[in-house]
Amino acid sequence: MSDPNQDVVDPDAPVVGMDYFMSLHFEERICPVVRRYADALLEGKLIGHRCPKCALVYAPPRGYCPIDVIETTDADEVQLADRGFVTNYTVVTPVAYYGQEATEPFAKVSVQLDEPGGSLSLQDVLEIGVDDVRVGMRVEAVWVPAAERNVDEIGNRSWGSAEGCILGWRPTGEPDVPAEQISDKVF
Amino acid sequence: MCSSKNVNDERVSTHTIEFPYTRTLGPVYSAFLTGLRDAKVLGITSRDGKVLCPPTEWDPQTGESLDLDFIEVGPGGVVETWAWVTEPTRKHPLDHPFAFALVRLDGADTALLHAVDAGSIDAMRTGMRVTPRWKEERIGYITDLEAFVPEASA
Repeated sequence: MSDPNQDVVDPDAPVVGMDYFMSLHFEERICPVVRRYADALLEGKLIGHRCPKCALVYAPPRGYCPIDVIETTDADEVQLADRGFVTNYTVVTPVAYYGQEATEPFAKVSVQLDEPGGSLSLQDVLEIGVDDVRVGMRVEAVWVPAAERNVDEIGNRSWGSAEGCILGWRPTGEPDVPAEQISDKVF
Repeated sequence: MCSSKNVNDERVSTHTIEFPYTRTLGPVYSAFLTGLRDAKVLGITSRDGKVLCPPTEWDPQTGESLDLDFIEVGPGGVVETWAWVTEPTRKHPLDHPFAFALVRLDGADTALLHAVDAGSIDAMRTGMRVTPRWKEERIGYITDLEAFVPEASA
């Protein structure tokens, strides 16, 4: 924690403000299905669950299909592609709130993965500026080197995160996927 | 901020959520904390002539605004009541067992809630005299007064 009065330059000036650091610290055990996902990430693999009824692929696996309201298990596990295309994106223009380290606009994209499917949200794009990010753009994962991977950001509610293992996604240069093929995959 | 570790073959993730903000102190708390930074404890005179420490902006009897009539109190004082903390958490002012106490400083008519670093619960008693132990580097925070200690051991 920093000096609560770090903005006070003159040590003899009256104390007129006081910084409060409200802080909540907690630990959680990662549930088995997320733990298996995290362990796979460390090995450089993306895994998901395919619903045995509707065949939708969930990445990361959830252990259930919310549409059919049935449990999914290790038997439904599929290894996913680390290539795909952008289905949607948001450009974030950072403001300097406490803890925000970014200073320049950046994009977060949703990536629809190639067969057998699944999608990851809130992914970073590498190698191109935010103005060049577009729906339909084909991308591939850039993995963090094996020795440097971590799953520190993977919690029980971190659906969609591959942070610490996938640095981001870079354009492959392949032709864009036409918009009419994406209309049911935008989220 | 997060981290992850394996415990008994389980993966545990830890999270810290922080929400910082700055509060403007106003004329009374500003004077009080400026005093602490300068290793002085200030009280304020109420409408009926009593000395309130910690100082308040309003008279506790009538609710009227008080004039900025500060008076230095202490440094010593008397423990009016106390509770022993056997197992301090990381948010407590001291990392070893201590007492939370209401300390009425010499010259004050009300008591200040603070920590007493007495070493042992056996050294604590109502009515005991205590004196401040100041931090070397003070920044205008209640913890500039690190703790009160028994006057005999000061």
